[in-house]
Amino acid sequence: MDNKKVWFITGASKGFGLSLVKQLLDAGQLVAATSRNQQELVAAVGSNSADFLPLQVDLVNESSVSLALQHTYETFGRIDVVINNAGYGIGGAIEELTDAETRAAFDVNVFATLNVIRFVMPYLRKQRSGHIINIASIAGITGGTGWAVYAAAKSAVIGLSEVLALDVKALGIKVTVVSPGAFRTSFLTADSLTVTQNPIAEYEDVRHSHCKYLSMNGQQAGDPEKAAASIINVVYEENPPLRLLLGGDAYNRALTKLDGLYNEIHEWENTTCATDF
Amino acid sequence: MSNQNIWFVTGASKGLGLTLVKRLLSEGYKVAATSRNINELENAVGVTSDAFLPLAVNIKSEESVQEAIAKTISTFGKIDVVVNNAGYGMLGGLEETTDQEARDNFDVNVFGSLNIIRKVLPYLRAQQSGHIINISSIGGFVGGYPGFGIYCATKFAVNGFSEALDAEVKPFGIKVTIVEPGYFRTNFLSEGSLITPKNAIDAYQNVRDSQNLHQNQMDQQQAGDPEKAAAAMIKIANQPDAPLNLFLGADAYQLAHQKIASVQNDLETWKELTTSTGF
Repeated sequence: MDNKKVWFITGASKGFGLSLVKQLLDAGQLVAATSRNQQELVAAVGSNSADFLPLQVDLVNESSVSLALQHTYETFGRIDVVINNAGYGIGGAIEELTDAETRAAFDVNVFATLNVIRFVMPYLRKQRSGHIINIASIAGITGGTGWAVYAAAKSAVIGLSEVLALDVKALGIKVTVVSPGAFRTSFLTADSLTVTQNPIAEYEDVRHSHCKYLSMNGQQAGDPEKAAASIINVVYEENPPLRLLLGGDAYNRALTKLDGLYNEIHEWENTTCATDF
Repeated sequence: MSNQNIWFVTGASKGLGLTLVKRLLSEGYKVAATSRNINELENAVGVTSDAFLPLAVNIKSEESVQEAIAKTISTFGKIDVVVNNAGYGMLGGLEETTDQEARDNFDVNVFGSLNIIRKVLPYLRAQQSGHIINISSIGGFVGGYPGFGIYCATKFAVNGFSEALDAEVKPFGIKVTIVEPGYFRTNFLSEGSLITPKNAIDAYQNVRDSQNLHQNQMDQQQAGDPEKAAAAMIKIANQPDAPLNLFLGADAYQLAHQKIASVQNDLETWKELTTSTGF
């Protein structure tokens, strides 16, 4: 990490976001970081350095996002790396989650990311450089019982990232979408995970899945500090990946998904290929 | 396959939905079909029959959806196959697309389908059977379409929730299939159907190139026959071995293969970094 970059990181008061901010500040980087609660963010990061710009931002609000980016640009003179990290998990069968609960999860996991992209692009286009990193999840590659809405939101992040990479390549801007497996962050605590308020008794498998995940809290195999270091590393790669998975569990689940899909596609080849004029 | 099956099809006044409804009716199925505009729907289908229940539905409204499903049950007694077909394409760079334009596309393509699923499942669970067919797109698995960022995001979302839904409802005897068509000769790319952003930005030349290609060269030249797509869906409906993923079209088949190979390749290339993050 020889050259100094300006980083803009959302959802930085805990989890991956916090690990990223701390490591970057330790390495002498310039970091703007957002949270809904600035005091919480400042206390968590514990730095008074002029290299650190803590920002209180409502990511679902376009003008709040626009102001935060403007503030960052005015403070540091450029924006090199944007990490869309803010997000939370939502558990429940589709039938158990209301339209409002579903939309609220998309607000933070999808529409907030789109807000940041929409308002940072003018700066990145002007510079003709930049790297947008969107934090998705292995659930965006393979969704499990009881996490349909979360899988949908994270799948959406992967989809928009793949297209964005094509759209901004000619402008000198890179895109990476990161899909972590299970990491020992606060993700599985009440603060980061919402579960349905209206469980339906018949969805026993959903309850079992939620119990299994919640009992994993504090036992996850993934080290968030190593995840943060990996994310920082890809920024310094000459040809960074469009897709980066993190964790042996994510790697295995993705391979299993692809193998299954490959077999299914072959099994149904005759039906698939019989629909042209 | 039994033509005693009752179908419920959304977005039925044009495109694949209309083709499917007409074919189902001609094969003797009972069909409830939805559209925002009931006159348009009735004119397009052009059938007056006890087997056809046209419904004016705003799929963005849970109440409207609930009413439509209840009316279908009270008319036909049950619902066997639900086709979440309503949806539209959106072509623009993410920076060019306003929050509202993005949300409008998600409202129909994602939240509309979730409303239907949420409201139909109590009936399907009670009868311990049913087949939910979600019309996605090859763009729900492959993001290789410049300018289709929001659209692909909506269809990736459909794929994501459908896979989890399949696991969720399997214990109740309910099946889920994600239909992922390639390019079919419907009105999908036509004016009034494919939405483009109000505030285009000159810098996005490749997005304009993609727009020009789709609107001026590909529209009505697509290789896929909607009649054959509808036939494929009728064939797999309620089959015990129906696939979770059904790609439609030789183009979709090819692209799905390429995407799998490309992700596998990425996984191997970055394996060391990926697997070095454990404690």
